[in-house]
Amino acid sequence: MLKGISVSDGIGIGKAYIVRQGKPEYTPVSVADTEAEAARFHQAVTCFCERTEEMAENMEQTVGQKDAAIIRGHIQMLKDPYMLAQIEEQIKEGTCAEAACENVLNTFIEMFSQVDDELTRQRATDVEDIKIRMLGILLGTETQTLRDIPPESVLVTEDLTPSMTAEMESRHVVGIVTEKGGKTSHSAILARALEIPAVLSVSGAAAQLKAGDTVIVDGREGLVVPQPDQRTLSKYRKQKAAYEAEQEVLCQYIGRETVTADGERKEVCCNIGNLKDAAAAAEKDGEGIGLFRSEFLFMDKKDAPGEEEQFAAYKKAAEVFKGKPVIIRTLDVGGDKGIPYLSMGQEDNPFLGFRGIRYCLAHGDLYDTQLRAIIRASAFGKVRIMVPLVTGVDEIRAVREKVQIITREFEQTGVEYDRNLQVGIMVETPAASLIADLLAEESDFFSIGTNDLTQYTMAADRGNSQVAYLNNPYEPAVLRSIRRIIRCGKEAGIPVGMCGEAAADPLLTPLLLAFGLDEFSVSPASVLATRYNISKWTKREAEAAADQVMKLKTADAVKAFLINLNK
Amino acid sequence: MVSKKLKVTNSEGFHMRPATNFANAMAKYSSDIKIKFNNMEVNAKSVMNLIAACIKFGADIEIVCDGADEEAALQEAAGMIESGFGEE
Repeated sequence: MLKGISVSDGIGIGKAYIVRQGKPEYTPVSVADTEAEAARFHQAVTCFCERTEEMAENMEQTVGQKDAAIIRGHIQMLKDPYMLAQIEEQIKEGTCAEAACENVLNTFIEMFSQVDDELTRQRATDVEDIKIRMLGILLGTETQTLRDIPPESVLVTEDLTPSMTAEMESRHVVGIVTEKGGKTSHSAILARALEIPAVLSVSGAAAQLKAGDTVIVDGREGLVVPQPDQRTLSKYRKQKAAYEAEQEVLCQYIGRETVTADGERKEVCCNIGNLKDAAAAAEKDGEGIGLFRSEFLFMDKKDAPGEEEQFAAYKKAAEVFKGKPVIIRTLDVGGDKGIPYLSMGQEDNPFLGFRGIRYCLAHGDLYDTQLRAIIRASAFGKVRIMVPLVTGVDEIRAVREKVQIITREFEQTGVEYDRNLQVGIMVETPAASLIADLLAEESDFFSIGTNDLTQYTMAADRGNSQVAYLNNPYEPAVLRSIRRIIRCGKEAGIPVGMCGEAAADPLLTPLLLAFGLDEFSVSPASVLATRYNISKWTKREAEAAADQVMKLKTADAVKAFLINLNK
Repeated sequence: MVSKKLKVTNSEGFHMRPATNFANAMAKYSSDIKIKFNNMEVNAKSVMNLIAACIKFGADIEIVCDGADEEAALQEAAGMIESGFGEE
């Protein structure tokens, strides 16, 4: 079994089709008739552009506008007048077209690869792709074509180049395995767009898999199984059938409102960690952002992002979800999330220490910068502020006061913002749960963070495997806490959401519906499944189940009951 | 010669699409157009050089145009950057 990165969901079973890449071989020669050589080069450029345009048009049909634009970009890159001039210069000096082309493109590959920026480094793959295709055209050898790939193939290659994807007969490809590439590479994006299960970054895949061998590609787990035995094969065939049946059911929930079986309206939103996730969330039909972890803006950096940089990111998220709620959780550092330049210091108990809103209120300037950026972004959509790790009324009051000072200034200076901007809290500590009635009077909404709420309620470190059995949302103590929080929110007339993992747990759906949860915030991949789970329950059935569950005394009993109920 | 100092405001910076649009727009001017950034001088008519320069969001840059149509070139270049390349 080979392991890689799972980038496109699903299971594919087929025969390995191995494409060996690498540039065509040739012996560089010096040319006497440099004019004829230049003409030969220009002919190749024209040919390249024509074929690429053909591929792009083909791609528009099969994958979509955006991916076609990637391949059209190759034309733009090759036609760069200054790069062409460099190649022509070398040809004029007597270098053959192949070598001139390769030399110049190599300098750009090198330049792009050395830049400290993921997106730019990915462009090096494009230039490499252009180089190999240009050499193929010049030498008349052409690269191996994927137009003739046989049906039921698992494509195995070093790296899936945009041009390969563009000409591949995608209906014949049941799985993709590559040796290079990560979650955000071209290969990954295209595999997802084509809905082909894919596992990337499998080192030595092309060497270890034999052409024609049966191969299983498990895009959910990131596994590749070469030459499976009969038992494994039938196990995966069953999983594949189940997965496909499930997808078919879920597809019907795209574009539909989230409602219970008796027609009560609910909301399924997404938890996201960056702007790429925002696009995924929109694609998976999320009804807004229930949790935007703003930490990503602060990580992998030398110092804190300024107001403008933060504003641009929040504004973009608001615009992607125009008119739908975007709940931005303010910086939640500390605990297991250290950020070097914020000098958090060593703590014996970081989860019980200087984290979340505690850190932010002590670093007023840093927090003011973030609040200003969020408030400005509120002019572009339904942006909301969510305060993490609240334990008392003083904290929410302190944040509100800051917001008031900023908006007062904005009024005077004429900066646009949403005058109905909501400020809510994340309810994730036992203290907040116990005084949820008091906090509800001062908050515009609640969002229950079940991961931290569980660890704090059970006094069990999330990272300690010896107490992992206690980190269990089925614990009666946790369920009572959740019920209490929702009830307090409802009594105060504010909406209550949940952004922890429990929100996507189908076993807990009836309980959360019975308690009266309004919004379920889950990962983009879980949106449709959650919408489907909600649609299965009427309020009466859910309440009847909850009555029984809340009488049970142990987590095991609760879980067993819910599993039975879900059958 | 005319020049203008600016800040890059679109979230993508000079990546593929913005760089292509920018280089194409600059190609129609006869003036020499350069972007000064990070102690480098980047040819604004070359999409490959723009990408290699990796000019990101928030970067401080200076556009320098030199030639017969330098005023018009500078105006369009600055306009594109200031409007964030019409990024959606």
